[in-house]
Amino acid sequence: MRHVKWAVVVCGVVAVALGVGAVQGQQLSGEYKIGVLEPLTGNLAVQGKLHLEGYEIMRDLINERFGGVMGKKLVFVTGDAVDPTVAASEATRLATREGVKIITGTFASTLCGAASEAASRQNAIYWETSCVDPRLTRRGLKNVFRTEIDGTGFGWYNIEFIAKHLAHRLGKKPNELRVAFLSEDSSYGQSVTEAARQRAKQEFGMQEVGAEFYTFTTNDLTPIILKLKNANPDVLHHIARDQDAILFWRQAREQNFQVKAVVHAGATGYGNPGFGKAFGNDANGPFALLEPGPGFIIAGMRPEGQRIERAFREAVKAKTGSDVLAGGHQLAGGGLWILKLALDAAKTDDLDKFRAAVLAMDLPVGSSINGWGVKFDETGQNSNPRVQHYMLQWQNGSLVTVWPEEFTTNRAKWIPLGAWDQRK
Amino acid sequence: MHALPQLIVSTILLGGIYALIAVGLTLIFGVMRVVNFAHGEFLMLGMYLAFWAFALLRLDPYVTLVLSLPLIFGFGWLSYRMVMRPVIHASHNVQIFTTVGLSIALQNVALVLWSADSQFVRTGYYTVVVRLGTAVLNLAQLIAFAVAVLTTAALFAFMRWSYTGKVMRATAQDRAVASLMGIDTGRVFALTWAVGVTCVGVAGVLLAPIYPVYPTVGLQFVLIAYVAVVLGGLGDMAGALLASLIVAAVEVIGSYVIGTAWKEVLYLLLFIGILVVRPAGLFGQRGAEAIGT
Repeated sequence: MRHVKWAVVVCGVVAVALGVGAVQGQQLSGEYKIGVLEPLTGNLAVQGKLHLEGYEIMRDLINERFGGVMGKKLVFVTGDAVDPTVAASEATRLATREGVKIITGTFASTLCGAASEAASRQNAIYWETSCVDPRLTRRGLKNVFRTEIDGTGFGWYNIEFIAKHLAHRLGKKPNELRVAFLSEDSSYGQSVTEAARQRAKQEFGMQEVGAEFYTFTTNDLTPIILKLKNANPDVLHHIARDQDAILFWRQAREQNFQVKAVVHAGATGYGNPGFGKAFGNDANGPFALLEPGPGFIIAGMRPEGQRIERAFREAVKAKTGSDVLAGGHQLAGGGLWILKLALDAAKTDDLDKFRAAVLAMDLPVGSSINGWGVKFDETGQNSNPRVQHYMLQWQNGSLVTVWPEEFTTNRAKWIPLGAWDQRK
Repeated sequence: MHALPQLIVSTILLGGIYALIAVGLTLIFGVMRVVNFAHGEFLMLGMYLAFWAFALLRLDPYVTLVLSLPLIFGFGWLSYRMVMRPVIHASHNVQIFTTVGLSIALQNVALVLWSADSQFVRTGYYTVVVRLGTAVLNLAQLIAFAVAVLTTAALFAFMRWSYTGKVMRATAQDRAVASLMGIDTGRVFALTWAVGVTCVGVAGVLLAPIYPVYPTVGLQFVLIAYVAVVLGGLGDMAGALLASLIVAAVEVIGSYVIGTAWKEVLYLLLFIGILVVRPAGLFGQRGAEAIGT
């Protein structure tokens, strides 16, 4: 009897090993080519190259360990989308001359509209993984899908954080909070801010004490800071582009502007590593809504999500030598993984069948990279509550994950923000 | 009204920054009749010079300023010899394309060498402020303003009273007659270009502790400098200083009273309005094309 038990155990181990080996070493039959369109030169090139690197890392992972796509080896043909005009012409080239049926990219809100229009004219599927311009999925284009939330989703999450975490830490009910909204005036800034304003007022009854938009290349933000001092908000919801966050933070300190919390969304402004480089420990305090950063508890994800998350992190570390993932890696890698799942489910790139498979996907939070889930709506937009986002805070010169607390080992500090020289 | 002292201080300090950039631009136009579209990129190079000197050698920007003056002047001279000299007698269209091309080339060289990331010179005193009643003055901005006033005054005096300044003015008024009088106009143009570039390079070094630097930072300032130069009267340094203060006042006070989104509309409306009344600008003399007057 004992020998029988051992035989069963050994057979089981062998079967599992063979099964894993079958996926990892699966023979891929042929190649499946998609177009990757990113800005690889010009001002957007830094983020564009990071995204391309994220796609490449995920592509290699899919081919080597996860059975390719539809049983085939995934290969890329790339295009350089330096500006909207070139993005459109490159999307057309990828579809017509390279013959791809799926184009993914382009990360920038200034590029995705033009690229997706061009892809649509060629009846190609456009799979956006980063750009957050809400208009992308509001044009009735059946070929357009977006894995990341849009700008309104960022506003939704920011207010979620303010209402459900900051309010009680500040000893107030959400409807007692005084919130000022400040934003650079791009479509990104405006869409995030307007969505946040709407939700803050309609769902939580927060008190809006100011709303101001500015051009991000402005050279003096002192007049705005003086107005904010008069308004005396508890929370400043500030969507900044880049150098404007640095200018604001310096001038706010000069004017001794005291606010209890500053909340931002996205990889620009306070979400850009350059903010920490500029100020070191003096950057401590502001929050930025991003993908998961240091402190993220992978074990909090579902088993299938943990598996791909760990594999991706190992692959990124092998490629870059860093334990900290860049936002471009996370968005591109996460988006490409969901595309693989969709193609495997559809077993074809025929637009109607592919679309039906995408809309049928229903994965809970924690199933995929970044702790994301999947549930696309009819417009081709992945849903806000499924695309789990995280609040990071500048602590001792680094951005660390602080919310939702069940997903992180870190806790938010300096609530309310103390005096400028006491945030150490 | 309690914000008024701060708004006045902010206006003066911001105007000083614009003036610092505008004087070099107006000098080059006044003498050479060349609109330098690469002016902002020389500003960017000055800022990167201060940043790298600080990052690699821990040199304070004000030390860099003194040490780098000959370097910036030499770079200006070299850029004239290599880029501007072949087109100095060509049509304005050719000169415009040349300086636009130089601008794009310098931006992209910076992009390739240093990436699009913003960099910031965080000195030990970057949070130091000077209090004037209820108003607060950033120390680095105060120094930039003082240098702007000194530079404008020095250039004004140089152009009006020095022999070289008179030679430059003579060349500006009529380059053919100046040549007949034995003036080496080629050397005058080279000197003018190099001095103009030095002015904006100095501005760049002074701005490094105030603003982040990135490859297209010049565009952030140079459009306003063009407005100030035309508003003050092309080629007029005192006019450029005054116009810079006017533009800054409209920007700062307009932002506070009406809204920041309106600031560009406001100063461009003022710009158009003044040009309708005085097409040669506040201090420019129509047809005289004078400099240093």
